Amino acid sequence: MKKIVIVLIAILSMANVFAQVKVVTTTTVISDFVREIGKEKVKVDYICRGDQDPHFVEILPTYMLKIRNVDLFIKVGLGLEGWAQQLIDGSRNSKLHVVDLSENISKREVPTTKTDGSQGDVHPFGNPHYWLDPENAKIMVKEISEALIARDPANAAYYEKNTHEYLHRLDAKMKEWQAAMASKRGKKIITFHASWIYFCERYGIVAAGYVEPKPGIAPSPSHNADVINIVKNNGIKLILMENFYSDAAPNQIARLTGAKVYKTATAVGGSPQAPSYIAMMDSIIKAFDGI
Amino acid sequence: MVKHGFMLCLLLAITVWAQSNVNPDISLIGTTGISTNFTKNDPDKGKLVFTDPEVEMLVEGYLNPFAKAAAVISYEDGSFGVEELYAHVVNGLPLDMQIKAGKFLVGFGKLNTVHPHAWPFLQRPLFHQIYFSPDGFNDIGANFSFILPFESFYSGIDIGVFRGDALTHSISAEDTYEAAKQRRGNNPIGVARWNGFFTLSDESNFELGVSIAGGLLDKQAVSVTGDTSLPSVIKALNFCYTGLDFKYKYKPDAYTSLVLQGEAILNNRDVVRSYSDGVNTIQNLDHISTTGAFMSIDYRFDKQFSVGCKYDFTYGLIGDTPGNTTLGNDSKNKTMGYEGWIGYYPVEETLALRLGFQSLQFSVADGPNPDPRNTVQLQMIFSLGPHKAHPF
Repeated sequence: MKKIVIVLIAILSMANVFAQVKVVTTTTVISDFVREIGKEKVKVDYICRGDQDPHFVEILPTYMLKIRNVDLFIKVGLGLEGWAQQLIDGSRNSKLHVVDLSENISKREVPTTKTDGSQGDVHPFGNPHYWLDPENAKIMVKEISEALIARDPANAAYYEKNTHEYLHRLDAKMKEWQAAMASKRGKKIITFHASWIYFCERYGIVAAGYVEPKPGIAPSPSHNADVINIVKNNGIKLILMENFYSDAAPNQIARLTGAKVYKTATAVGGSPQAPSYIAMMDSIIKAFDGI
Repeated sequence: MVKHGFMLCLLLAITVWAQSNVNPDISLIGTTGISTNFTKNDPDKGKLVFTDPEVEMLVEGYLNPFAKAAAVISYEDGSFGVEELYAHVVNGLPLDMQIKAGKFLVGFGKLNTVHPHAWPFLQRPLFHQIYFSPDGFNDIGANFSFILPFESFYSGIDIGVFRGDALTHSISAEDTYEAAKQRRGNNPIGVARWNGFFTLSDESNFELGVSIAGGLLDKQAVSVTGDTSLPSVIKALNFCYTGLDFKYKYKPDAYTSLVLQGEAILNNRDVVRSYSDGVNTIQNLDHISTTGAFMSIDYRFDKQFSVGCKYDFTYGLIGDTPGNTTLGNDSKNKTMGYEGWIGYYPVEETLALRLGFQSLQFSVADGPNPDPRNTVQLQMIFSLGPHKAHPF
């Protein structure tokens, strides 16, 4: 009898050791960070694929099912995932802990006056595309680490070690990126959507104009003409855009100006060149080769 | 003095902050348009008719961490009304149950729970008009929703109990509605729906649903002998609706989608039929079994444009006076509809312009068929405020 009890206790302890923290993230960038920190001690899934526009994700019951039995739901915040709350409600998961990674981010483009539809899809709490600055990625990684430790304190040392190692790798890559971008400081570019402010600030790039007349508003012929003038007058050589947007208008601008259109993934898995956050940033930095 | 001024400013700031953070979300949907018809012998044939504007104001928010509440105040046909008013407990209940209680669009089929402004087409399916009401199946009651424990696909079941007055519209015209409600008395109806949702690939999803609704539809004094000197017999007229619905969506990228959607209903209900034995008019309780269905396809291309068509069929005649004894619910008459549309959405769902054409064709068993009714309609829909995305 005593032996059976010991065996049972051992099995239960083993079960606890192998229990994974279940996490669902809104974007693949966050799930990449979770995987780097939690490794085999987490089970992570995401909602928005890397090649999808995170502003517009359909409310699907299968997404609710993904969230139904998880411990953590981690999001970018700042209104990027307007669809997230409907999924959380639909999941009926009353034990779910929601982590908003934007809390400690130094936010940009926070409106100081009342926002309305005349300004396009302006995010009322600030521009949410902060993960494109690797310094912000470090803040996100630390927040995720804290959330995993709070959920699974028994493995705190493991998460801290992985976090430290990942941040170390990120720091090394940031030095590379900084060196590659040093000669590009002050260069002007055109971006499709107003999603590059954090990236541009980090590397001293100037977004001189947008293909969209206003955030979320489809390009128009008259606005294209304005952008063409900006490109010509400033000698701009690069139109940078997310690969889920239509490249019809950027290609037209490029044909008439000689600028280069560079379509890139801004989320992990968004293209074969972006299997991880670090690889994704590598491919974005490559856009500036030769300009 | 400075201290008081500071406190006043602080209080004001807190009040303003509290107002903006505590207030529920308020959004407004407006619909307006013009139409014309090309129906033979119609006095308005070829004339432009400006339709009355319709407004839906949605107020919604969380009551507490477990429950939400919403109200939809509508302005339609020149009067205000409460279209929906409910509380919705979304989590914290045993078995992960959700409870919705109040007045709301009943989950019979997929389309009925979606407000018309979010439909791809302009015209309500014909069988909704015959078997529900001109405004769909909208009733007072409670719905209990469960997710079934399947890991590989989403499957849910909804069970509801409702007052049943909404369906009284299917057996009474507007001016006899109150009398029909009185006859019916307090006899709740039951509604249930099972749905399964299947992800076929990253780009395509499929949903299948089966609904059932049943209960007492009406009580009528029936003269079984035709002898008016003898008392009539009060007969209960029951009904049972069975519905099947599906929706398939293929969305290969952010700019393109194809939606194929359809629903069908099988109506089993008691009706009163009158016939003459040569001397008296005798009434008999009869039972009819009729159907209705629609199928639509909507193709969204280039982000801002959509084009689609719908085929509609129902027993009963659209535009006829509904009633237990009239042709409106008879099993001998049919209406068929063909609809086509082009939609233009300049900026997401904030504004929509839709040009649609509908042709209704009638088949009457006892008498000549009415002329086909052909209508062209231009509709504008706008959405103001934080209106949330519609689920699949």
